[in-house]
Amino acid sequence: MNASQFHRAQPSARYQRQTKLLLVIPLAIFFIGFFVIPVGLLFTSSFNPQVIGQVAVTSELTLDNYIRFFSRSNYLMAAWRSVLLATIVSLVTLIIAYPMAFVIAKTENAARNTFLLILVLAAMQLDMVIRIYGMMVIFGDNGLINQMLVALGLTSPDAPIQFMYNFLGVVLGLVQFSMPFMILTLVGVIRGINPSLEEAARSLGASPQRTFLRVTLPASMPGILSGSLLVFALSISSYIVPALMGGFRVGVLPIHIFQQVAEGARFQFGATIAVILFLISAGAVAVYLKVGARNSGGLA
Amino acid sequence: MGRKISLPMLILAIGGFFYMLLPIVVVVLAGLTAGDFLTFPPKGLSSRWVIAFLKSDSYLSAFFFSFKLALMTMIVSTILGTAAALFLSRSRFFGRNAMRAFFLSPVVLPGVVIGFALFAFYISTDIGLTRTIWGLWIGHILYSTPYVIGTVGAALASYDVSLDEAARSLGASPWRTFRKVTFPNISQGIQAGSIFAFIVSFGQFEVSLFLSAPNTEPLPIAMYNSLRYKFDPSAAAAGIFAITLVIASVLLTNRLVNIGKLLDRK
Repeated sequence: MNASQFHRAQPSARYQRQTKLLLVIPLAIFFIGFFVIPVGLLFTSSFNPQVIGQVAVTSELTLDNYIRFFSRSNYLMAAWRSVLLATIVSLVTLIIAYPMAFVIAKTENAARNTFLLILVLAAMQLDMVIRIYGMMVIFGDNGLINQMLVALGLTSPDAPIQFMYNFLGVVLGLVQFSMPFMILTLVGVIRGINPSLEEAARSLGASPQRTFLRVTLPASMPGILSGSLLVFALSISSYIVPALMGGFRVGVLPIHIFQQVAEGARFQFGATIAVILFLISAGAVAVYLKVGARNSGGLA
Repeated sequence: MGRKISLPMLILAIGGFFYMLLPIVVVVLAGLTAGDFLTFPPKGLSSRWVIAFLKSDSYLSAFFFSFKLALMTMIVSTILGTAAALFLSRSRFFGRNAMRAFFLSPVVLPGVVIGFALFAFYISTDIGLTRTIWGLWIGHILYSTPYVIGTVGAALASYDVSLDEAARSLGASPWRTFRKVTFPNISQGIQAGSIFAFIVSFGQFEVSLFLSAPNTEPLPIAMYNSLRYKFDPSAAAAGIFAITLVIASVLLTNRLVNIGKLLDRK
């Protein structure tokens, strides 16, 4: 190999950097054009005076929409209800999903392990509307549970137990929606726990329960934290579950946004609610990223 | 399973799996029921609702619309996401993690808000995207590309960069190096990522809510619109086809990449 060939084969660092930049520029342009700018305009329009039917952003700035939001009890209640709902869903999902994640993480048989993960991934990727259809069949007033209760003579057909079209229904739906995300977050963390810690506790005479409570559970705390934050962010953003499982009777922020815009053509006030929802959700995501970074930093 | 899993833990886990999977099983049964709706005990099996779905204008066209949209989304997401994943795995600069988080953020940010932002943007700029398949396409690309970045990124994490360096030092151009060396090694990750992108777009609801119109209705929106008013078992029959598609895609993904490994990184 002569010198000039060698020179061609080892391009300068600057050239390499430029070639690499070409890889990310298309996506960066796409994200700026169709994500940053639209969301930026939405933020701006939330500071424009409310004019029914007007979409375009103007230079007239005001805090009126935010004052309206924070001075009306029904909007404040919606924000509070959204946060409460997402918090309850995170806790319930954690309690149901932890044993599942634990069993998956501790299943050593590769085929069995893969099978369980396939079930979780399939449940996660299936369109939520289809899953809600199944939930409506199960939990509806004439649903399978109520039919069974009537058949057993526990309730009368005229007074079914109302699982749906209320707060409970939304929780039931959102937990079903969130479970796979929580499981996948937890499995990785539980699997990462050094098994010799658990073995040491057992060999020192701790019962399996005590080992679990004193060793495994504390060691999975980072996964519990990031899984709960992820589920919080995902469930506070859901429109479809409150709409169908709550029957529009549980007014959460996403429902209010759609009503303001699609039914009232109040773009600026809709944008204000959207900004508030966006900030709550982004706040949870930011903490999630921080926790996640600390996790991997600790493990690596 | 051995003594690592205690009995109470196992029972709780089985209960959890039951809750996670029962609604899906119920949809399949509801789509195959012989009655007008699913009752307990079931009235027996029939293909009447599957036939009703195959004959229905609204669900069938929505199904194919979603399929087309998901294919279009998959193509662009795979190209943009793979390129970005290559960049993210090969570059070391301040803010790389922030950039990665930025590209992944649409997955966790509220879809209704992104859909609304795009909807208002299309109307106010008036560039012909309002209530078209192109407008939906853009929203779906935003939501599907992060899955490609994640999956291809995982494949690249276990890829030995010195192979590339060897090809480059032997005189191969960057493009030739990618085609002949990098791509064959990560192609399974790319394929898995593109399947993810497809299925995420196929099931996308929140972003589509603001962006769809009666003539551009993806399946989830069409099902939602009918579920609001009446309980139609042919929707469940449409669900059976969607469930089949999801199961096939997950099985295919599992053949391409080690699902368990994908998880460790996340």
